Amino acid sequence: MLEQELKNIWQGSSKTAQISIKTQQLIEEFDLRLAEVQKHIRQRDIREIAASFFGIVIFSFFAYAIPFPLTQFSCYLSILWFVFVIFRFWKSKKQNSIESLSLSLSEQLAYKKQLMLKQVKLLDSAAYWYAGPSFITNFLFILGLGNPIDYQWDNPIAARLLPLSLNGKIVTLTGLFIFYLFIVWLNKKAARTDLKPILENIETIEKDLEAQD
Amino acid sequence: MSDSQAKFEQVLIDNQDKIYRICRIYAAPPLEPQDLFQEVIFQIWKSLPSFAAKSSIDTWVYRIALNVSLRSKMKLEKSNTQTTTFEAISIKHLEAEDSSLEEEKFRFLKECIAQLNASDTSLIVLYLDELSYKQIAEITGLSENNIAVKMKRIRQRLFDCIAPKIQ
Repeated sequence: MLEQELKNIWQGSSKTAQISIKTQQLIEEFDLRLAEVQKHIRQRDIREIAASFFGIVIFSFFAYAIPFPLTQFSCYLSILWFVFVIFRFWKSKKQNSIESLSLSLSEQLAYKKQLMLKQVKLLDSAAYWYAGPSFITNFLFILGLGNPIDYQWDNPIAARLLPLSLNGKIVTLTGLFIFYLFIVWLNKKAARTDLKPILENIETIEKDLEAQD
Repeated sequence: MSDSQAKFEQVLIDNQDKIYRICRIYAAPPLEPQDLFQEVIFQIWKSLPSFAAKSSIDTWVYRIALNVSLRSKMKLEKSNTQTTTFEAISIKHLEAEDSSLEEEKFRFLKECIAQLNASDTSLIVLYLDELSYKQIAEITGLSENNIAVKMKRIRQRLFDCIAPKIQ
């Protein structure tokens, strides 16, 4: 009796609202929204990739113009690193773009969990794949900076900035070290505060769903 | 009207009430049921070309509605995402003579469902829609036996909660 009453209450709950849908207009609005979403994604991709392309251009120029061997070597390493970042970005984008909404609830949860785990791992390991390599290339770059006169390098900007004293190099490297530590902290914080609660939520629902009562 | 548009329209006609019921349960402030309803409809429209007819269209719609609702609930716990409003969808609340009593009963039901965890909520909404255990199994990915055992417990919990309220 109660069971049927509950079913009636439930099924009657949509009768208190009159839903009206103009299909043709709706499809036009959906097309518009989809175009906006795709434009937004494209612009974000361009922004993220552009930073790495800009880095490749700048460090290619440095490698060409700067005569100090260690600094040149660090520029080549930086270029390789930027290529790696672009590759990693595309790989991650490809994995995240698969839609899974028509999977069963448990499959969807497992899929979302895998995605979240990958993103958490990516942010948690920023010290190894982002900050560490960047700091090493920056370290070699600064360390390699010599005296332009020794290399007959005639460049007005270099002549004004170089040579850097040992103290100058230590201060610059310490500043860079603190900057990269901050970046690592930001990434770990994002993983901890943004992603891990969602991941825990998914795991709880998964556990509840699969539990044999 | 093209075939795909006609198919989409038919899916909406056949399923809009049950989608709206699910949205009324899962929408959490600041998101209103109509916002969540629009999002579900949008995702159905996006996914419809890839519908492979491995399951019935009804089962498929339930999967999308539940997955979108659950996804929205999990995201909203962290940030208040706003969805786009589509002018082509309008939801008017009807003022029938007995609607206030029905609405009150529904409010009790909603309060009792809110006490269940997310997994039990998804099972009970499907059950209240009178889906068979086989259909619920297809939607959730659980075995029919597991659903039967779970439903016994969930039903009892729901009855214990709601019986004193509606009597």
